[in-house]
Amino acid sequence: MTFDPSIFTDHLGDIGLGFLVTLGTWSSGVLLGLALGMLIAVAQVFGNNLMRVPLRVFIELIRSTPFLVQLFLVYYGGPSFGISLDPIPAGILGLGVYGGVYFAEIFRTGFQSVARGQLEAADCLGITRLQSIWRIQLPQMLVMILPALVNMVTVLCKETAVLSIITIPELTMVLTGIGSETFAFVETLLMLCIGYLILVELCSRLGMFLETRVGRFMSRQPR
Amino acid sequence: MNSLLIPGGNVPAPTRETTREPLDEPMKTNGEQSSVLTLSKVGKSFGNLRVLKGIDLQVQRSEVVCLIGPSGSGKSTLLRSMAFLEEYDEGAIRIEGQLLGWQDTDKGRRRAPQAQINQVRRNVGMVFQQFNLWPHMTALGNVCEALRRVRKLSAGDAKQRGMAMLDKVGLAHKAEAYPAQLSGGQQQRVAIARALAMEPHIMLFDEPTSALDPELVGEVLQVMKTLAKEGMTMVVVTHEMGFAAQVADSVIFLDQGEIVARGTPRQIFHNAEQPRLQQFLQNYLDRNAFWQDAKG
Amino acid sequence: MFDWPLLQQNAPLLLGALWVTLQVSIAALVFGFVIGIVVGSLRLSPIPLLRRLGGAYIFVFRGIPLLVQLLFIYYFLPRVGLPNVSPTVAAIIGLSLAAGAYIAEIMRGGFRAIPGGQLEAAGLLGMSDAQMLMRIRVPQAVRLTLPALVNEMILLIKASSLVSVVGLADLTRTAQNLAASDYMFVQDYLMLAGFYCLINVPLAYAASLLERRLKERTA
Repeated sequence: MTFDPSIFTDHLGDIGLGFLVTLGTWSSGVLLGLALGMLIAVAQVFGNNLMRVPLRVFIELIRSTPFLVQLFLVYYGGPSFGISLDPIPAGILGLGVYGGVYFAEIFRTGFQSVARGQLEAADCLGITRLQSIWRIQLPQMLVMILPALVNMVTVLCKETAVLSIITIPELTMVLTGIGSETFAFVETLLMLCIGYLILVELCSRLGMFLETRVGRFMSRQPR
Repeated sequence: MNSLLIPGGNVPAPTRETTREPLDEPMKTNGEQSSVLTLSKVGKSFGNLRVLKGIDLQVQRSEVVCLIGPSGSGKSTLLRSMAFLEEYDEGAIRIEGQLLGWQDTDKGRRRAPQAQINQVRRNVGMVFQQFNLWPHMTALGNVCEALRRVRKLSAGDAKQRGMAMLDKVGLAHKAEAYPAQLSGGQQQRVAIARALAMEPHIMLFDEPTSALDPELVGEVLQVMKTLAKEGMTMVVVTHEMGFAAQVADSVIFLDQGEIVARGTPRQIFHNAEQPRLQQFLQNYLDRNAFWQDAKG
Repeated sequence: MFDWPLLQQNAPLLLGALWVTLQVSIAALVFGFVIGIVVGSLRLSPIPLLRRLGGAYIFVFRGIPLLVQLLFIYYFLPRVGLPNVSPTVAAIIGLSLAAGAYIAEIMRGGFRAIPGGQLEAAGLLGMSDAQMLMRIRVPQAVRLTLPALVNEMILLIKASSLVSVVGLADLTRTAQNLAASDYMFVQDYLMLAGFYCLINVPLAYAASLLERRLKERTA
């Protein structure tokens, strides 16, 4: 097996673009997922049964089916419902919904970890639900659920590879494409592996950094 | 008279350490308008279990009412219903004339919107057995939070009022401390300050000293006595019979969800007639008069 | 929107493909379990080098997306002298290696949760390390981590949707082929989702039942 690093320099532009697409879809998917997840969690914890039951069904559906199948439904099945999306928006939507459901479960356990009594006291004082969530629950939850959130963000990073199957030109698609063209499978696949390992490691380092910083911030609430 | 209380014994003779006249009978009701809190035929069930039955109760301005009774008698549920932390099923609870928690429509009764509930109970303050302070905020932060979010005070005004409240309960020097750094008694006093900051017309206390070590109970009771002396309307669920005897205008004995006896402290503690009340007081005395059967 | 005759026609094909998916997933769970025990034990070894080896395995096989791992297998098995490996075997190898990393972590937690006294007693009775592993540590760890292992099964079944890159006609690939020919995307992919739910929803229910029973026993 030969190893020819010039493959990279020849295609640097494409690889760079693919990397950007990976980062872009990943971060958009995470943001969408966090927002959706928070909405779902609040509806589950504070909503009435009319909301809870269909949500529970939806969550179980998403958790029981592969991400790829959900992507297919959005990208190939969407047009039948009038939603014709380009690959990248479809990918972001898929990531957002998939991640959102898992984030919702994390947020839900976080909400339930804050003692009910604290919310009752807030209730009695006239503090609204929204204010309670923002000022009392979230600050206390955050430190506890941060590891699980970081873990899920890492999972979403790895799932971006699957986006290549619906023709999104992210890192996997770009590098395997180059590999097929030049038959330089060793180099491209190796770089692909290293690339993801770097991303995953960065993610967990960032997570640890955030944990210490959030912990310090919470114990210095200015009042 | 069937007096269970031996002179020189355990429960001090009922007096009122107030500037008002000592009372030998419960305050006369002057109609619903003057009462701060009115309960009519209030009932509640948990599934098949009826925890409150036909509760009629009126609390006048500046009156101190103590609810006593064995565990499971429903006294906490009753108190929490007054703040609509428990939804009562039957009857009506009115705060200063306004119906709490429900709306009567021509289609029957339905739960009032949250804004309306908050409106009706904005003059009700509550103190919990478990304090329920917010651990990620300082004492001052806890006291000021509602002032800023609900009363929309500016940071400066809230801080001023907050410090005044902490000073009132004797904890101004602990304003920047976190709940974890405070003793149980101090935490409960912060909780009282937090409720007082909103200038309530009536304060509800749910076994405020039950979670405290005995030596810390006194400081909280002292604050509550001061409040009573200043004329605060109070409803207190408590096991502290001394406090009830000394401070209450009326004592209500609850058992298995119903009001079995009510009267002045003297009537309840000295002249108990109902057998269930006698049994309850005897149990209390047995637990607390431990030195009577001391060996040696 | 739904073409019922077509649905009835496609269902048996998908059912057959479901069987393929299940075979591969179960095989991967078994082999992954073996790998997981080995790597998990490595991680708890007193020798630092072995610990680091175990750690490296987990880092690599949990850090690289499964799709990339499967591509690696597809392109490299021929190069290391196994050109005629069937897609099924390739799929099982790929899934097992990845599953092994996750199961290793699960097992590590399970091993650590065993009260130390049990191992002391076994040692005093003269059991060898290998015997202790097989007769005490593994069964106990499995008992303690059963909900997590069932969860891993669910994850494997979902992960198997990617094995088409090594040429295996699993449930997803079959549905893709059907949709490509009859253009009934919504119907075919909803059926596909339905088949996955058929297996995974009961499994998830079983996992939560196990978890509840575990909590009751250790409470």
